[in-house]
Amino acid sequence: MLCENCKERPVSVILKQETPGGPVERNLCDQCAFNLQTFSVNPNQEPMSIQQFLSQWLTGEAVQPQALEAQVMPECPECGLTFHRFLEIGKFGCPVCYETFRERLPRVFGKLHNGSTVHRGKIPASFNEKMAIKKQIEFLRISMQDAIQTERFEQAAVLRDEIKEWKRKLSAGPEEGGAADGE
Amino acid sequence: MGNNEYMQNAVTGWMVPHGEHSDIVMSTRIRLARNLRGFRFPIAFSDEQAEEIGKLVSDALLNGGKTGYAYTRMSDLKALGRQTLVEKHLISPQLADAVHYGAVLLSEDETVSIMVNEEDHLRIQCIYPGLQLENAYRKADETDNLLESRLPYAFDEEFGYLTSCPSNTGTGMRASVMVHLPALTMTKQINRIIPAVSRLGMVVRGSYGEGSEAPGNVYQVSNQLTLGKSEKEILAELANIVSRIIVHERKSRELLLGRSRLSLENRVFRALGTLSYARLLPSAEAARCLSDVRLGIDLGLIEDVDMNILNELMVFMQSGFLQNFEGGELTAEELDSSRAKLIRERLRQRAADGEPHPDEP
Repeated sequence: MLCENCKERPVSVILKQETPGGPVERNLCDQCAFNLQTFSVNPNQEPMSIQQFLSQWLTGEAVQPQALEAQVMPECPECGLTFHRFLEIGKFGCPVCYETFRERLPRVFGKLHNGSTVHRGKIPASFNEKMAIKKQIEFLRISMQDAIQTERFEQAAVLRDEIKEWKRKLSAGPEEGGAADGE
Repeated sequence: MGNNEYMQNAVTGWMVPHGEHSDIVMSTRIRLARNLRGFRFPIAFSDEQAEEIGKLVSDALLNGGKTGYAYTRMSDLKALGRQTLVEKHLISPQLADAVHYGAVLLSEDETVSIMVNEEDHLRIQCIYPGLQLENAYRKADETDNLLESRLPYAFDEEFGYLTSCPSNTGTGMRASVMVHLPALTMTKQINRIIPAVSRLGMVVRGSYGEGSEAPGNVYQVSNQLTLGKSEKEILAELANIVSRIIVHERKSRELLLGRSRLSLENRVFRALGTLSYARLLPSAEAARCLSDVRLGIDLGLIEDVDMNILNELMVFMQSGFLQNFEGGELTAEELDSSRAKLIRERLRQRAADGEPHPDEP
């Protein structure tokens, strides 16, 4: 049997390919099989890599302002990753990158996660506790202000001590609660 | 012989057919990606940082008496040792490549493995046999809580767990279920299922090897999204999709059995014959035959072969295992021969355990 592409050389490769219309079998010689590059990634077959996806997204939508934007692109102070480079490699360099690129990330996540941009899952216990304590301190502080305004000084003193106690707990806690503490 | 002993020792928790739907679902895996605050991700960190992270993690887990974990640096293992861990699904190929700074913490029963300095600082992985999404998640979650109480996790109120790759940000969770789908593959229905599932935010792909090929008709169904949904929601959706796939597979099996029993019998017994007597078995052929034999067992056509033959042999017939067993590098033909021998001997066990096998001396 001759190669169905060049019709010259004998068939040495039988290429089975999954296509949207069902599997297709092609009888090729090794040269044609190689030249046709059917071995390389078929976009219909392979899900696009994040790298490909991000860089296509960038070049597709920001061709014009790219040069300009490159100059004002934020750069992570911790690891030196620029937003541009992030889109190229599709990976963050460090946790601080999230803070650095925060404003631009919802767009990235929206595309990757089917429109979702905000975490709705598990929250680490230490982070949760810390948030709760901070809220508590804020609440007590308001109550204390209120007590001072209405000249209930004894109560204000009690509240002040309570705030002190919570603050002590906050700083004694297991490390910091999370990257978004903004401390 | 040494062969049996070697395999006995190598059988790990998830390879034993237990758990729900174990005729179709081979294993359930939960993976949580976590990182430490104050350190760059492995893609950008320095050797010193890598070293420090390894120390922090091992201290966190190993200090304080009985922990049941063993810490192994990739640099302490030979290439074959690393490959064997990959073939048992206990570490990822990427970790095996991180020779200089990667490490793994393995629980005694090998159901929990914590990869250190893979793509993220921590990858907590829990594998259970059969369909056990909730149990596997609970175990992974416990391990996560323990680590979190001792390590400064990188977590953000808006984005959740911060990971090196934006496709893991949020829960950092990848839940996957390994399923054996011979009937859906034979009837080509799998080609319709794969795109349908992907529209639901899940992925189906071959479990062994790369690309769309699925050696042994073993597929992996997993969640793709990690942001915007809670772990519970993701697990429930995955469980729902998997259970629908299981129903389809069962229906297709019945249909095949009803419509073409003889040709199905022919196929599974030919496969059994090949596995029992072949002297050279390339891995693709072995995978195909193992899948057929397993289907024969599930349908009650073959009665005297262990059902975990597929689970175990799909792992043991891979080149790392074979070379480890034979104690050195093998050529392609030697591999095929070693594979054929291993499978032959594994199948002969049934003869020794049960009725005598007529044709083997």
